[in-house]
Amino acid sequence: MQTFLDFFSFTDPNVRWVVLGIMAMCAGAALVGVFAFLQKKSLVGDAISHAILPGICLSFLITESKATWALLPGAFLTGWFSLIAIDYLTRHTKLKSDSAIALVLSVFYGVGILLLTMIQNMELAQQSGLDKFLFGKAAAMVYEDVLVLIGLSILIAVVIFSLYRPFRLLSFNPEYAQSLGYPIRFLEGLLSGLTVLSVAIGVQAVGVVLMAALLITPAATARYWTNSLSVMLILATFFGAFSGLMGTYISYTYPHMPTGPWVVTVLSVIAILSVLLGRKKGVLASQRQLRRNGRKMLEENLLKCLYHLGEMDNEWQKKRTWAEITQKRLFTKKQLQRAWKALSRKKLLLADREGLLLSKEGEKMGRRITKIHRLWELYLTKHLHLASDHVHEDAEAIEHVITPELEKELEHQLGYPVLDPHEEPIPYNEDDKKDT
Amino acid sequence: MIQQVANPAIELHSLTVAYQQKPVLWNLDYTLPAGKLIGIVGPNGSGKTTMIKSIMGLVPLSSGYVKIFDESLDKVRSRVSYVPQRGSVDWDFPVNVLDVVLMGRAKPRRLFSRYSSQDKEIAMDSLKKVNMEAFVKRQISELSGGQQQRVFLARALAQQADLYLMDEPFAGVDASTESTIMDLLKSMRAEGKTIVVVHHDLQTVNHYFDWLVLLNTRLIASGPTKEVFNSEALTQTYGGKLNILSRVGDLVKEKAHPLREK
Repeated sequence: MQTFLDFFSFTDPNVRWVVLGIMAMCAGAALVGVFAFLQKKSLVGDAISHAILPGICLSFLITESKATWALLPGAFLTGWFSLIAIDYLTRHTKLKSDSAIALVLSVFYGVGILLLTMIQNMELAQQSGLDKFLFGKAAAMVYEDVLVLIGLSILIAVVIFSLYRPFRLLSFNPEYAQSLGYPIRFLEGLLSGLTVLSVAIGVQAVGVVLMAALLITPAATARYWTNSLSVMLILATFFGAFSGLMGTYISYTYPHMPTGPWVVTVLSVIAILSVLLGRKKGVLASQRQLRRNGRKMLEENLLKCLYHLGEMDNEWQKKRTWAEITQKRLFTKKQLQRAWKALSRKKLLLADREGLLLSKEGEKMGRRITKIHRLWELYLTKHLHLASDHVHEDAEAIEHVITPELEKELEHQLGYPVLDPHEEPIPYNEDDKKDT
Repeated sequence: MIQQVANPAIELHSLTVAYQQKPVLWNLDYTLPAGKLIGIVGPNGSGKTTMIKSIMGLVPLSSGYVKIFDESLDKVRSRVSYVPQRGSVDWDFPVNVLDVVLMGRAKPRRLFSRYSSQDKEIAMDSLKKVNMEAFVKRQISELSGGQQQRVFLARALAQQADLYLMDEPFAGVDASTESTIMDLLKSMRAEGKTIVVVHHDLQTVNHYFDWLVLLNTRLIASGPTKEVFNSEALTQTYGGKLNILSRVGDLVKEKAHPLREK
């Protein structure tokens, strides 16, 4: 508890700066990452972050300093160069972009490791700790590093905010943007530059290996919650910044815990939860949809069954016993119970110990399902040229999905037929023909 | 038959385009009249899309030039609108219908500008013209193919151009969308617009287009549909590539030989 308070009161200036720096960096990377994600360039981020390593080493060899400002130019340069290399390879050789990315990533990273090993065998004052760039070490950041981080993150945010529309157009439909006369080379270059920049400033904190996660994961996570690009940008920024905060907190609480991996771990937890719970395309959401479909089919099948029983003596407002119902259609006890309970709640039928009685509204719905079933069978025989003994199974499923609009169109196109392919009457409700 | 016109909307002058060295358009040289509905017809891989893109300056030219309303594209860009193939974008992109149509009102010269209320009116009006006004706030991922195509057309309409270049606007759309689009194109023609349409359905060519361009890497015919659309020209267009021409093309690619001495 004490550490919690110590941390979140931000009284320790050291903590304050590191947290602010990490959060700003994560937010900046998340913002740029949204566009990289939408342009399907997720892997490019990984290539950039690995390609930054040789740049850092070169910068260090020249300046002999580990400060962010000193390492940034080299990092940016080789990061940018890797993009050019990927672009060149995909344009001018037979390599597809995935192979080009893999190639550039490994070559640059290999050179980086080579340089790193060389530096470590040299007799330089500052050399120790450069290997932290592999996995990052946020705690090693000093005030000046943090200032650079925050300044550049603000720059990234400002550029993205003011060029939101052009960037969106560029990501959605670059050829159209070009046809309108947008300077798309410039805009693409700018966006790539921002990507390289955000990766370059993040590497010190989370390391070369994990940086790509900060770029892409917030965007991919946000996509599970929204269909709007502006909301996606806000959510991604929030997810990024929050992970930055929590990651720093955990590494503050437990000594010897690295910040970068914890930031990424928190982010991954959010991502996994979003995949499960996300409002758009989340796993649980789709399962809920499946269950909803199952319930709907079951309930409609019971209504249909009761309607069919009514057809036998042209009497629909009559109680049907449990035995009659299960004889007509094979419901398990559990299914039957679930269905009649739900339907009686909706006032579509009345239930007692002996059996079930359709309400007026229930009768109408039962008739509708029966009608759609038979209309669909007719449609299949007419337009898909299926034999009449091949259409029932299909109609059993499709009858539950047809919307009122499609229902009308089906009636209209088939000309309000009275008999289905099995010579059974197609029943209509009273208000069916009024609207045409 | 290649018929040239005076005061053309589009003029191609010995235009050659190559992808990875291999020529896909070989020395096209023709003019297209203004105020007409013009069809571009040819088999798959005959360079129809490339031709539209080269007119729009979207692919590098190996040789030749394009003039639009007797000017270079950059001078008349605001009068030209391009409708890319529907399949060329990711329809899962997080934008709604209005966002897409408003892209037609984007102002490239002012990168930081926002949309005015007039822009929004024009966008809504364009949506009405394609019968999509009920879908303004709909996510584009929830649209059918025909609806997606209509959104693309609405975006082009919002540009209020004089020349429209449309890449396969009838591909994969339902019959009702096809007739909606066709009615729209005809009313645009009545307003004096020039519309160039890449088309693949030979059945409808006759009653859709005033003017026809037959293409198969090289230009086979360009002229009024009545005069151009005959079995001889179609045999040339669809009867396969010219043997010697395509062998020379292969050779150029193989030897990385330049297409112009320069």
